[in-house]
Amino acid sequence: MSTSPDHLNAGTPIRASDGFIGLPRSWRKRAIILVRLMSGAALVVAALVTPGFLTATSILSLLTTIPFIGCVAVGMTFITLSGNVMSFCLGATLSATTIVFMASVPIGLAGALVLAFLFSVLVTGAQGWMVGYFRANPIIVSMAVLALIYGFVTLFTGGRGIYPAGTETDILKGRIGWVPIPLAAFMVTVVLGQFLLSYTRFGRNVFMVGSNYRAALAAGIPAWRTITGAYMVAGLFTAVSAVLMAARYASGDMEHGLGYDYHAISAVVVGGNAIGGGQGSVVRTLLGTVIISILRGMLLLWGFSTQMQYLTTGIVVFGVIMLHSLGETR
Amino acid sequence: MRSILRTPAARPYILLVATIAIFYVVDFGHGRINQATVFSVLQLFATLGPVALGLGMTMIAREFDLSIVGMMSLAGCIAVMTGGTYPLLGLALAVAAGCFSGVLQGAVMMWLDISSVGVTLGGLLTSGGLAYVLTNNSSIAYPRMDVAMMVNAPIGSILSIRNIVAIMLFVTAAFVFHWTRIGRDVVATGSNRRAALVAGVGVRGVVIGVFALSGMLAALSGALLSYSLAAASPVALVDALVPATAAAIIGGVSLSGGKGTPASIAGGVLVLCVLRSGLTAIGVPPLVHDLVTGGVLLTVALLDASALEERLFAFRRWRLGRSL
Repeated sequence: MSTSPDHLNAGTPIRASDGFIGLPRSWRKRAIILVRLMSGAALVVAALVTPGFLTATSILSLLTTIPFIGCVAVGMTFITLSGNVMSFCLGATLSATTIVFMASVPIGLAGALVLAFLFSVLVTGAQGWMVGYFRANPIIVSMAVLALIYGFVTLFTGGRGIYPAGTETDILKGRIGWVPIPLAAFMVTVVLGQFLLSYTRFGRNVFMVGSNYRAALAAGIPAWRTITGAYMVAGLFTAVSAVLMAARYASGDMEHGLGYDYHAISAVVVGGNAIGGGQGSVVRTLLGTVIISILRGMLLLWGFSTQMQYLTTGIVVFGVIMLHSLGETR
Repeated sequence: MRSILRTPAARPYILLVATIAIFYVVDFGHGRINQATVFSVLQLFATLGPVALGLGMTMIAREFDLSIVGMMSLAGCIAVMTGGTYPLLGLALAVAAGCFSGVLQGAVMMWLDISSVGVTLGGLLTSGGLAYVLTNNSSIAYPRMDVAMMVNAPIGSILSIRNIVAIMLFVTAAFVFHWTRIGRDVVATGSNRRAALVAGVGVRGVVIGVFALSGMLAALSGALLSYSLAAASPVALVDALVPATAAAIIGGVSLSGGKGTPASIAGGVLVLCVLRSGLTAIGVPPLVHDLVTGGVLLTVALLDASALEERLFAFRRWRLGRSL
């Protein structure tokens, strides 16, 4: 009977790489920082020399795609930082929330917004409670909730999307001044997320629980409340994305969030957050989202097909995970 | 009797018997469940079984292979694109790709000491992306209709080439696991890695081997599935990750490693397959299957949770305190 706290199957670490390539650790860290800076510089240079990248259309298209994925990624950051890797059902939660939102628009926009946020936060909060309070495996719990969401949504909608006739939600497609509402909402999300992490006790606790669960318990941190909270924050930010997306497509549909969980965790990882938790920030996730979006935009401009984007994202995620682990101090 | 009940490998089979009994009672006198249902159970077993076996083995070694879904669609694409003239060549290339990807991921994990979830997430995205690139983002048809018919053709009313392959794989795996050192090495690696290392188990080799196996089995299953549907698509033809995980977990595999055997995983897969085919046969909408899978996964995740007993104890004490 294993009651080990690292219930994520990270495995007991065996030092496989003492003195990797014979370099002392401090050198290794410097080398990795150098690699990071150089890839960043390479990306910037490549973007600048790409014909058509610095045009208004290209930048505008970047700014319209980033908010939707960005909000989910910021939410996922909290789950990752709290030491629970990822949730497989943020995409499904997003889709289900668009349906809840669109279905409840007839009771008024404010009411629909409240219901949508409440739904999303409750779904992820329940997951967080099971993970935090009972120490259930986060990956299995999220898979279970994924299946349950699909089951229940099909039960209530019969597998069809919701396309209301009204135009009440169009206000969410508007602008504040010259800033599109989705972009404004994303900026608020980033600021709020980073504020929660850096300037509140909850944020401190998330880092503590994520980096060393036992030490957090010993320090008297209510670990289960922190983990439940982290999941609820993830649900909150996912709902932001859901509401914006429902307004944009004027529909609620299970297709909306397809693949968003993978996009979100890619952004979290590429930004340099530790996949094992305890180390990272919302700003890093923002960086990751921007890097992936720029990369994709560039590939399109260079004439590569959309399918190349999937492959490149995969390779970049793989590379960043390897790079990150090389620089870890153990 | 009690000793049989205590054997972890028996649990999925008890569940299996119970499931079959329930379907028998529900269907009594209707005759909706017949030989065709059994055939569809075994066909489902052929798709899900090998993947669940591979994933289950990585879980026994206390790792987790997320990349199986990407590998399944990639292997299907490779097999369909290269197996036009020689189907076996396509199959071999697909399995080789699975082996390569597994060894690569296992080696990276051991070399850099990274958690398997991170590495296989990269593997999942990369292999999925590769499938998109290979197929040019569209589904492709397999021209050999004869092969498609052959792998699915019933042999003796309930068997087919596809499910015979899956059954043989499980039998071989069970033999190797029970009667060679390999099985014990995998369990030791999953139970206590440090102790296994001290005891002289080649832990790195075991982990790399387990991932190679998982990659090959996912590839085989994906390639055969594509042959049988005469099509391959970068978008997964079946979403195998959730059912494969559910099957392994019902089969008594624990995420904390060291528990479960190929035979018990086979039991877990059969429970899921009987459930799905049975529900379809008696005309229950597929959403019930989602709900049941989700419910079972959630229950097992909670029963397997490391703080469960502590919480239950606290709850009982609290109730006792109130009643006084």
